[in-house]
Amino acid sequence: MFTDLNSILNASPDNFKQGEFVLILDRKADASFLVHHFLSFYLRAGCKVCFLGLVQSFSHYSAVSQRLGVSLTQAKEKGQLVFLEGLKDCLGILLPGGTKPECPTLDFFSPQCLDLRGLFEFVLSSLGPGGGAAGQGDCGPDSPARPPVLIVDDLSVLLSLGVSAGAVLDFAHYCKAHVCHELKGSAVVLVRCEEEEEEEGEEEGCEMLLKGLTHQSTLALQVQGLPTGYCRDIHGQVDIWWRGQSQQQNQRKVFQYKVQDKGASFFARGTSSAVL
Amino acid sequence: MLLDVLQGAEAGSFIIFRDSAICPGHRLLKSYVHAALKREDVVHVLEFETSEGELTAGLDANCAQRLHVHSGFVDPLGWIQRSSFTVHQFTSQDISALLSSKPQSKPVLLVIDSLSWLMRHIDPVVICKRLQEIKRGGAVKSIVGLLHADLHQSGVVASVCNLASTVISLTPRTNGQWVLARTTKRTKSGKVLQEGELFSIQEDLSVTVHSKVSHTTVTQPETDTVEGNPAANLTFNLHLSEMEREAREKLALPFVFSQEKKSALLNAGQGAGRILYEPDANDDFDQEDPDEDLDV
Repeated sequence: MFTDLNSILNASPDNFKQGEFVLILDRKADASFLVHHFLSFYLRAGCKVCFLGLVQSFSHYSAVSQRLGVSLTQAKEKGQLVFLEGLKDCLGILLPGGTKPECPTLDFFSPQCLDLRGLFEFVLSSLGPGGGAAGQGDCGPDSPARPPVLIVDDLSVLLSLGVSAGAVLDFAHYCKAHVCHELKGSAVVLVRCEEEEEEEGEEEGCEMLLKGLTHQSTLALQVQGLPTGYCRDIHGQVDIWWRGQSQQQNQRKVFQYKVQDKGASFFARGTSSAVL
Repeated sequence: MLLDVLQGAEAGSFIIFRDSAICPGHRLLKSYVHAALKREDVVHVLEFETSEGELTAGLDANCAQRLHVHSGFVDPLGWIQRSSFTVHQFTSQDISALLSSKPQSKPVLLVIDSLSWLMRHIDPVVICKRLQEIKRGGAVKSIVGLLHADLHQSGVVASVCNLASTVISLTPRTNGQWVLARTTKRTKSGKVLQEGELFSIQEDLSVTVHSKVSHTTVTQPETDTVEGNPAANLTFNLHLSEMEREAREKLALPFVFSQEKKSALLNAGQGAGRILYEPDANDDFDQEDPDEDLDV
């Protein structure tokens, strides 16, 4: 986890806000470092985490988390982490000779399935009471159970797999209703948008997904490259938007960041150590 | 006008709150619901976007009795069989059944949070039709809906807003925490009233209007370009003096057939050549002028 980002978000593994729906989005930049931050943050906090890994393998996240000081393999063995390896499991459905899995989690790969109900049921079974994942607090009756967390990397790849934006928004709604409200946990989703401008009226595109998720989110982190171009010491900027119920509760701040070997540093615009 | 709408109880009205991601309207909707309950109205809410707890927070027991929330928040599509209201139950028959299950002596106020959720699953044309049916049904005094204008095509938003008697569009202001509400109200006589007001919502959900904004100052021109003079700031002179301008205007262009050229061509000048033509036997000499029909 990144200490700079923790202080900006006013969160620590011992004390963080529950019921957050965090939306991470990137345009022409790579925001996956934020996914690693949240994964290591919530594992350090002792929460049970359900991670839907649709774009990278488990070993990738494991290698990065090692550098951040968290062992995913251990967490998985303990039952604290439930990891859906989308890349590996989908081969069973896509390849003609593959063994079809029993559960309907990855049903959306088949063209007849129009919604992500199976995927949601997987999330519910992993995080719900008596589910697959167990937080650190579940050991004894006196220790308070830590809230569950859902992390999705990433939602926009579902659009390229043929799932409609409406179905993805429904899935996100169900996750918010159950994970954030009922189970008082948090959800972190990553969405990538390549095209900046879409024709007005493009209801099925990434922009529609993005706007719908922005409405649902309580915290949005928008990552993009520097508008002036590539810089060796500043990798991009993050627009952090705390979204309240009304305009008065909205707050927006922009920071620049640099991704390093074992973390990332965040600083106010113009205050990079290379510049000062 | 905003406060009139929020506190008014006009029967047969359909009010739409138009918001967007940068300026959410949930709190304003909640403020409307609370004000209606304090007026002793009976309110039924079709809730998809927030939990029942969030909506009822801050209500006293007396008001809470008159509020009936049909929550589609937890299971709007019936995936886990825990729904008290699903998206597909938005038909005039189902709504009437819902309202009659809690019979009241006076007509009710129906609040929909949000219309965008319904429009994502049901065709907007069907939604409009069902809204009209519910309006005419008689069990409902007024309908109030929240619409996220940035989630739909502008044509669809305009069509749905066309059904409404009052549309309140929310836009944020860059200076400060106030929100601009542009209210457009159509009276029964057909007159359209418009007003812009800057407002904020207090902790107790009461709305305070700070100032009115006139329509002309609010609508800024889209293109703010000031056309600069391209001949300014040059190292050479592109301007014309008066004499040069006159000379330019007097100049006859080479391919324009003006009056002077016509008369010069038609009237043979002094010493101009003459054409003598002797037709021989094979020529078909036509005395008629072939250019007679030209208007020259």
